[in-house]
Amino acid sequence: MEIKKLLFVTKFEDLCYDALNSLLILRKAALGHVVFLNVIERDKVAMKRGAGYLKEEEVKLKETANIRFIDWAENLFEMGMEVGAYIEVSTLIPEILKVIEKEAPDLIVIGRSHKGALEQLYSGSDVSELVRRTRIPILVFKHMAENKIVPEKLFERPILATNWSETGARMMEYIKGMKNVIGEIHIIHVVKDSALKSPDSHEVQKVRKKERKKLDALCDELEDLGIKARSHVYVGDPQKEIEKAAKEYQASMIILGSSDKAAILERWTGSISKNIADNSIFPCLIIPGQKEN
Amino acid sequence: MSKKVLVVDDDPDVRSFVVTVLEENQYIPLIAQDGVEGLEKIEKEKPDLVILDVLMPRGSGIRLYHHLKSHEQFKALPIIMFTGIALRSFLKSQKVLDEFQGAEVPKPDIYLEKPVDPEVLAAAVRKKLG
Repeated sequence: MEIKKLLFVTKFEDLCYDALNSLLILRKAALGHVVFLNVIERDKVAMKRGAGYLKEEEVKLKETANIRFIDWAENLFEMGMEVGAYIEVSTLIPEILKVIEKEAPDLIVIGRSHKGALEQLYSGSDVSELVRRTRIPILVFKHMAENKIVPEKLFERPILATNWSETGARMMEYIKGMKNVIGEIHIIHVVKDSALKSPDSHEVQKVRKKERKKLDALCDELEDLGIKARSHVYVGDPQKEIEKAAKEYQASMIILGSSDKAAILERWTGSISKNIADNSIFPCLIIPGQKEN
Repeated sequence: MSKKVLVVDDDPDVRSFVVTVLEENQYIPLIAQDGVEGLEKIEKEKPDLVILDVLMPRGSGIRLYHHLKSHEQFKALPIIMFTGIALRSFLKSQKVLDEFQGAEVPKPDIYLEKPVDPEVLAAAVRKKLG
């Protein structure tokens, strides 16, 4: 599975050219086309008592976005890449879905703003709604101020967390498509406390051995393609352990799957993928499962 | 008989500006919103001139220009570039495409950077079509 076209969704305060620049290494993996999308939320130009529809504000916001996109596009055009841009007054998720329909990207890049509790709430729900409504992998960038990851090294040391769900195979195909880009990948599986039949050390080691063997098979598959890979087993709460692993191995991003089942459960419990995407300090690449026919 | 001019631009305000200039100068305007639709209209409507933007969704003017100038059936079609993208970047991008596709295309003879006055645009069209 190759990444030929990416959709870069920006509000400018969350994602800027440095984030885009860190993705350009994907050119080694087939990336040749970038589509920019800036959605001006309706409430910024909506009817105001005594002022009516803020047409001048709309023109100003559109032109400001246009100037940024022209500047970015010039850099990409000069590299021989194809570039498109959309600037729309609309609502974020429906507009993203419209552009997906027109452009069929292979990857969506979106930021997560962290300026205030309300905005955080909305941004979080944007990401999870997008995960629910599309089958396209989503890379969630973190707000620049909180991001401790060196953006240029985004694909240097990713951590892939697998729970052996049906999205696993798709995640592997996606990683294989990035073989010229990834430095070293760490594949981890977290065994939930509840999955251990008994807490004695023999039992824990038995489970670890079994899971490690499965992980090593994935590593072998990747190393056959020239991707350096290492496996790790963790025990405990998946969200905490994935975050811990990312810190231990100084991950450049976390790669997670998201299944339909998880999307349904999320309404009740909050899925691991969504929680990590919303709360982790690491950029997260979420790979949804294939649509069932 | 009036000549047909195809305006390829994703911005409705720009399209409306160019269409007004063309109508006032007795040309027949045709419109397309992106590079893909632009190529379809060129093949179907056979315009006498194309006014082409660069940064558009679904196919940029960079690719469309290179495609038209490197294919025999479109080579002679006059094109006015009308865009916010700097000429320098446009030329560099064409050079990269030349190397990649192995076909060297000529520079555009009229490259207008937005915004331009209506008289400048009208004069450019007249220069190409008479």
